Parts: sequence; structure tokens; C-alpha cells
Amino acid sequence: MRLLLVEDNVPLADELTASLQRQGYAVDWLADGRDAVHQGQSEPYDLIILDLGLPGLPGLEVLAQWRAAGLATPVLILTARGSWAERIEGLKAGADDYLGKPFHPEELQLRIQALLRRARGLANQPMLEAAGLHLDEGRQCVTRDGVDIQLTAAEFRLLRYFMLHPGQILSKSHLAEHLYDGETERDSNVLEVHVNHLRRKLGRSVIETRRGQGYRYAGNSA
Amino acid sequence: MKSIQARLSLGLIAALVVIGLALAQLTLWLFEAGLQRYLETGLRKESENLLVALVKGPNGIQLDERRVSAAYQRPFSGYYFRIDFEQTAPSRAVPEPVTWRSRSLWDLDMPKPDSTGLESGYKLGPEGQELLAFRADYRRLGKDISISVAQDYSPVRDGFRRMQQIGLGLGVVALLLILVLQRITVTRSLRPLERARQQIAQLQQGQRSQLDARVPSELEPLVAQINHLLAHTEDSLRRSRNALGNLGHALKTPLAVLLSLASSERLEGLPEVRAQLREQLEQIQQRLTRELNRARLAGDALPGAQFDCDAELPGLLATLAMIHGEGLLLEHDVPPSLLLPWDREDLLELLGNLLDNACKWADSEVRLGIAPTVEGFHLWVDDDGPGIPETARQQVLERGSRLDEQVDGHGLGLGIVRDIVDAWGGRLALQESPLGGLRVSLSLPRRALIDAAESS
Repeated sequence: MRLLLVEDNVPLADELTASLQRQGYAVDWLADGRDAVHQGQSEPYDLIILDLGLPGLPGLEVLAQWRAAGLATPVLILTARGSWAERIEGLKAGADDYLGKPFHPEELQLRIQALLRRARGLANQPMLEAAGLHLDEGRQCVTRDGVDIQLTAAEFRLLRYFMLHPGQILSKSHLAEHLYDGETERDSNVLEVHVNHLRRKLGRSVIETRRGQGYRYAGNSA
Repeated sequence: MKSIQARLSLGLIAALVVIGLALAQLTLWLFEAGLQRYLETGLRKESENLLVALVKGPNGIQLDERRVSAAYQRPFSGYYFRIDFEQTAPSRAVPEPVTWRSRSLWDLDMPKPDSTGLESGYKLGPEGQELLAFRADYRRLGKDISISVAQDYSPVRDGFRRMQQIGLGLGVVALLLILVLQRITVTRSLRPLERARQQIAQLQQGQRSQLDARVPSELEPLVAQINHLLAHTEDSLRRSRNALGNLGHALKTPLAVLLSLASSERLEGLPEVRAQLREQLEQIQQRLTRELNRARLAGDALPGAQFDCDAELPGLLATLAMIHGEGLLLEHDVPPSLLLPWDREDLLELLGNLLDNACKWADSEVRLGIAPTVEGFHLWVDDDGPGIPETARQQVLERGSRLDEQVDGHGLGLGIVRDIVDAWGGRLALQESPLGGLRVSLSLPRRALIDAAESS
């Protein structure tokens, strides 16, 4: 999952980036509204966290421009101006959720999870469930037939992405774009290694390889 | 306080009555004086005629009856004379006074006027004729002759009296006519004032935000000042809200950093420090949120404030539906095109918090109702959640009322709702909902200013 964080307060952005990365998200950070308009449209983000008080261009304006350009990525607004009048304005401009500052990092994490699942049309429940596997995002481990299986951070990120897109064929480049932030060197061999690790832990059939097309998550049922 | 209309009418009536009466009296008096002068010449001529009619006869002076007007012959004809002179009768040596009276006097005596000239006020005869008498003294045929001529003045008097009555009637009619015209004129010229009064009432009901500036020049400063005050109040409110927003922003972002730091893994080894830190930060956060929200309230500061339910509620409900998921049924029972006389942001905050709470607790359904009542408005929010047992309701209300005990997101989070309701002088009650859960019921009175305007 690759997120864009648009926040002008550097200490908060540092903290959020660190905490989001710990949760297995690839995070790109921008501080200026004008940059955000451009980058939000050009990079394939899965979710955008947008602060409203931005230098360059106000957050609401950024959001309005994204929506006008047809960007459908879920946007979570983060703001210190938490009155209902402003909340309504934000959601009218096209936001998908609204979190008032200050907030607990756990709250933000839950909102992000919920938004990502909602964007995929999945029910919002504590465990991410797809084709027989249950993924606990808090503990970053997977449960199969009642047995917990520990995952490394990279494996967790990969599996979560697969489980949020069950049955879809995902190319290596697509996966790389959504799993790594803009600054990481993208090496498709690394992806292959992680896919193999997952197969070793969960069974070969969990992830199918479609030659020349990419991978497809089949889960435990296949 | 008497109305301007009544004062103007009263003043006008007094002035018109005083001046009208004085003028009428003066006119009558002048007219009568003129008339008497005219009659005097007539009487003088009569007396001269009588003088000419005196001729020397065998027994001294005689009156030549042929030359005397017939009116002096008919009894009580209204024309009388008496001639006084001294004559020595043939049998006597001493001259003695002689008085000749006209036949028209019959057996009555007409007194001789004390002095020459015109005199009025004699009453005469059974018919109570009022006489205007004229006396002239002559010397003729070697004798001092005093001729008094009188004429019945009653018809003239009666004529005057009738004229007075007619004049009075006409005066009253004119007065009424003037009053009516004055009323129309005053009403017309006071219409801008009345319009301003209605606009102020509308202002307080929230149906307009400014007074119409197209008024007569006398009212212009007043209306301009009111509009200026309104704009100023609105501007101050906006600025203070803005400043509070900035303050909130300035404080909340560092708080968010601190909260995030407190949960970071760097403090994993120090669970006590972490817990302390989080607790204190949470307290700051709650206090800050509550106080900022409280300070943002417009309350009664803006008389022109209004909340258009048709325009605002769909957005609010859509927002709530988005936050709480599509599975929740959000219904509202609000009369169409209902306007509430409160500030938009205040009311959104109130409804947002109430509905958000209800959505948190509801299983599947939340209902909002607003209905106008005699005293103001009744608002209620129903949910089909677990509700609160009757015994615990008071406790929940009290918990919301004490700032340091107020728990955001838990209990009911009624703190800000209570602040708003208190600022508006309303009442908040927790009841059993027909849906099975809790009903939060608010009765909000119309603003006191409006009551005052409407009752006056």
C-alpha cells in the first residue's frame, strides 16, 4: 500500500511517516499544496492523507482540483479545524474521511485501514479476510486454519496488498509502484523473493504466477 | 410612549381649534360692526326724513303724516321713532317737554337713548324685539329737537346666530377633513419608519441580515449605523473565529506530534512515562477542544443569523453517512423550508455532535426531528441503540456538565451540545426513544429579542 502524506508540519510529518512505515505502508511526503496537486495525480497512490492548512495552495483547493481531474483515490483529511461546518465542507469537496488534530496514532491507523477496505468494497472488520486467510494488521501476522504464521514486514506488505485485491492479476511493476515509495530502488527480483517466501510459509497455491502477466492471489481455497 | 401619529394629531387639533375659533369670532365681530355702520346710515336718513316731516302747524310744530313712512304706522312693524322737543302750549306760558312716538310702538315706551349716535341692546314688546337705536339732535323751527329712530335688529341677530352655527358645523367638518388628510400624510411619511421596524423584526427572526438602505435622508444615519453595527459584529465574530481557528491549529498540530511521539516505539521501554504522557496530553486535548468550541459559539451575537434546514441538513446527513458507513439509516423529519433563527455554524455543531453520538450508538437507524412550537423549536434525535437506563440518565447529564470529567467520544460527549443549548437558553433532556434506544430532546426558545419585538 502506498500512501501520500501532505502535511506542512515537519515534526508531525516525520512522526506520521515513521509510524505509517512501521505499519507496512510506503509513504511519500509532500509539504506544499502545489506539489501535491501534481504528484497526487501522477503517482498511483492507494490513499492520500491531506492536511488542510498547507502553504502554496489550501488543502481543500488541492482536493477540489484532484476530484475535478477525476482522481478517485480515497482522501483522508487531517485538520486542526474540526468544526462540523468545516467537516461538511471537506466532505463536499470530495474527502472520504475526516480526522481532527490532535489524534491518536491508532485512530489514524484504523481510519486508514477502514478507508482502504471500503475503497475495495470490503467490510470493515478487525481482521482482513480473503479466501481463507485472516490477516491481523495490528500484529502483522496471518492466520490459516487457526494457526498463526509470523510474517516479515516486507511479506506482510505484499500479502496485504494481495488480500486487498483478491482474484486480480497484478503485474510486478504494478506491485512495485504500490509497495514502495518514490525513493526506493525498485527491483523486481526482490518482489520475486518475497513472493517465494510467502508461498513457502502459506503454501504454493496461495499466489499463482501468470506468465507474462504477473501474480494472482488465490488464497487457501485454491 | 405615545406614537408620533397621535402626538401630531393632538397638536394639530389644538392649534386648529384655537386659531379657528379666534378667527371665526373676529370675522363675525368685524362683520357685525360693518353691518351696524351700514344700518346707521339708514337710520340717520330716516331721522332726517322725520326732521323734514316736521312742519309748522297752527298749534306749533306738527308731524306731516304723509311724509312719514307707512312702516311707522303698523304696530310692532320693527320701525319706531320718538321725537322729543319742548313746546309751549297755547294755554301755558312755560314750555314743557313733548314726546311723540310712532304709532308702531303702540302702547309701549321706547326709552330715549342717553347720547346721540348708535345704541343697541334695547328689548321691546311682547315679541322681545331687539332694537338698534339711533338718536340725532337737530335744531329746527327754532327748537331743539331730538329724534330717535330704532329698527328691529333681531332678524340680523338671528342671521348672525345661524351663520355662527353654520360656520361651526363647517369648521368641525373642515377639522375632520384636515385630520383625515393629516393622518394619511403622516402615515405616508412615516411609512419608512414602519418598514424599518418590520425589517428589524425580520432581522431578529433571521429572515434578513441587513436593513434596506433606501430610506429617507432623516432615517439614513440610523439605518446606516445599524447596518454598520451588524457588519461590524459579523466581522468581529468571523475574525475571532478565524483567530481561534489559527490558535487551535497552532496548538493542535504540536499536540498531534506529541501524541504520536508518546505512542512511538522509542518509549516502549518506559511504559509509565508513556501512560503519564498520554493521559496528560489527552487532558490538554479535551480541554482545548471544549474551550475552543465554546469560544467559537456565536450565541446571540448575530441577530440576522439563520439556518436553512433544506440547504444544510442533506450535507450534514451525507457527511454522517460517510463517516459511519452506508449501513446506517439516517432519517429526518423536518418541515420543508424550515428556517431556524440561529447561527449556521453553531447549529451544525450542535446537530453534528448529537447525530454523531447517536450514530455511534445506533444499531441501524438514527432519526432527527425538528418541529416549531409555541415557545420556539423542539429538536429530537432518536437512535435504536442500547439506550441509557432511566436511573443513569441524570448521571450522564451531570458528567457532561463538568469540564474535567467530560469524556470525548465516551458516554455521550454532550459537553459541546450542552454549551450551545445553554448559550441559547434551551433545555436538554434524555428520554426513551420510540426506536428503542435513546432520545435526546432539546427545547429551544425563540430568542428573547424577538419576543420583545413581537409583544410590543
